[in-house]
Amino acid sequence: MSRALLKKRLAEGPQVSPFLVLGDPTPELSLELAKTAVAAGAGMIEIGFPYGDPVADGPAIQKADMRALEAGTSTSKAIGILARIHEACPKTPLNLLVYGNLVHARGFARFCHDVVHAGASSLLVPDICLEESKPLTKACRRARLGHVQLVGPLTSPERLKRIDGAATSFIYLVAHQGVTGVRGGDFDDVEALVHRTAWQLKNPLCVGFGLSKPEQIRRVFKAGAGLAVVGSYLAGVIEQNARGDHLLKAFDEALRPLVDWH
Amino acid sequence: MVEALRPRVGAFGEYGGRFVPELLVPALEELERARREVLPSREFRAELSLLLEEWAGRPTPLSTVPSFSERCELEVVFKREDLLHGGAHKTNNVAGQALMAKLMGKKRVIAETGAGQHGTATAMAAARLGLEAVIYMGEKDMERQASNVKRMELCGATVIPVTAGARTLKDAINEALRDWTKNLETTHYLLGTVCGPHPYPRLVRDFQAVIGREARSQWRKRFGGLPDAVVACVGGGSNAIGIFHAFVPKKRVKLIGVEPGGEGVHTKKHGATLVAGTTGLLHGARTSVLQDDEGQILEAHSVSAGLDYPGVGPEHAYLRDSGRAQYLAITDGEALDAFEKLSELEGIIPAFEPAHALAFLMKAVREDALPKGARVLMNLCGRGDKDLDTYFTHFAHLKKRHA
Repeated sequence: MSRALLKKRLAEGPQVSPFLVLGDPTPELSLELAKTAVAAGAGMIEIGFPYGDPVADGPAIQKADMRALEAGTSTSKAIGILARIHEACPKTPLNLLVYGNLVHARGFARFCHDVVHAGASSLLVPDICLEESKPLTKACRRARLGHVQLVGPLTSPERLKRIDGAATSFIYLVAHQGVTGVRGGDFDDVEALVHRTAWQLKNPLCVGFGLSKPEQIRRVFKAGAGLAVVGSYLAGVIEQNARGDHLLKAFDEALRPLVDWH
Repeated sequence: MVEALRPRVGAFGEYGGRFVPELLVPALEELERARREVLPSREFRAELSLLLEEWAGRPTPLSTVPSFSERCELEVVFKREDLLHGGAHKTNNVAGQALMAKLMGKKRVIAETGAGQHGTATAMAAARLGLEAVIYMGEKDMERQASNVKRMELCGATVIPVTAGARTLKDAINEALRDWTKNLETTHYLLGTVCGPHPYPRLVRDFQAVIGREARSQWRKRFGGLPDAVVACVGGGSNAIGIFHAFVPKKRVKLIGVEPGGEGVHTKKHGATLVAGTTGLLHGARTSVLQDDEGQILEAHSVSAGLDYPGVGPEHAYLRDSGRAQYLAITDGEALDAFEKLSELEGIIPAFEPAHALAFLMKAVREDALPKGARVLMNLCGRGDKDLDTYFTHFAHLKKRHA
């Protein structure tokens, strides 16, 4: 079962997870990118379903969503690609990030059922916060799908505890108050935030938003994170190479140093 | 296949709620606290009512319109929000929220705008209260409403063009939400309509409800009793909720909302969310939205930039389902015709938005929507200055053909 796969993989030690939008730049190439990621050593993959109004995302992932939608990636097609990735990489946990209206339109129960059958291990819906998450938690539990919840730098300790209690599989910490995107500059705050958050949780901690360098990954793992997601940086690599023959090679070259962080 | 789902926070029946990323929750909680603590205070209410009176020009009058009434075979009375400072009802909400933001210690306000009325009102209030203002506006809307862009800039606001999606209101809201997520400690998001996550639909309604309260008391003093019907156009729905709210408990007063039918609700080019939409999640609320079968939000279309939005305030969806209010759609052509008619008959140039409500009144008796001679209160929510460029560039030549 995919949820157990995720638990087992997290127990093996810190994992680097690339983020891919299904269908970016095309359905076929996104399958190849996932295979490339696993071959490069990614322990799991964070997978986005393309959505036209991704309010939690900055420009790089917005463009990835648009490329995927322009390539005709509907939710049904995305589930089809997901199943093919799972078939090609059966031992790699696939963690979904899907905006609320796509899940809502299919019906929470049916959505969870369909993606579990396609091989998903967990689901994060970034725009359904704790207050409104009960029906989704229930649907995930029934489908045996991990339910991942977001927390941020301003989430209070009291709220963190409640979110940790409601989540199954892991907690996704947004490293910077803002939208997704590569960031440079000082990383001490992030390290302190990860440290402060990790010790309060019973679930493993995943860190994302703004990571693009092996050094950053080393520091979040040292501070207590069990999983690090790299999204916008790779979306930028895909954007630059989307029309060329070197997409998979460029993606592989960008990802390897991140996976080999130690 | 949408299951029954009742939002937990700020619900209107099965609509409303708080469907946002966790990162925005601290800001929404802070806003909810301010709504409960600051708004009812005597100081705040006194300051707001002074600002509305001496700066914004409240109360706005009721106007009888004999020639237009005769043309409609109705007794039509306008609530003249077009005479409010800034040129539309938007100033009511903006004055309230900007004052609140200041008391909350925020230095900066951001806003989305479609027709530019909300952006203009925000720029004006920010100037008055000494706040920095940043306005997000779809690039397409900036072309359609160029004079409002200039007004915002004159008042010292920064207008940021939004180039994503259809480059209209929906995309401007996305961008404003992203800005707010980054800057919520210094910034208040001054949302312009009764949409969005809780507490916005109630916060904005409470600031706009002055329209209906005032109109009800003016009506009673001048004509006695209550109108038979209250009519308003609906984009996001703030002017409609504003005038409806005081009449909701008065069950014998019909409430009618008029949506933008664009090129017709049977085409793909319209913005009639309540008439032709389905339930979904958009900009933080569960409400009626224009979307495809899989939940991708569709583009709305309307001649009026202020109604061009694929969602609607959740309270309207609730009023529709409960039967308390009725909603219907008017096409671009009908609205333009009404825009010309009112200008000719009464010397009042309406905005394209309320022209939709006017167009409904022009055919209401003929189509048995209202009985002949019914007494109707209509919210004339904005004036047409901002639409003149569009009208003379794209539509004035059609008028000669009709004549």
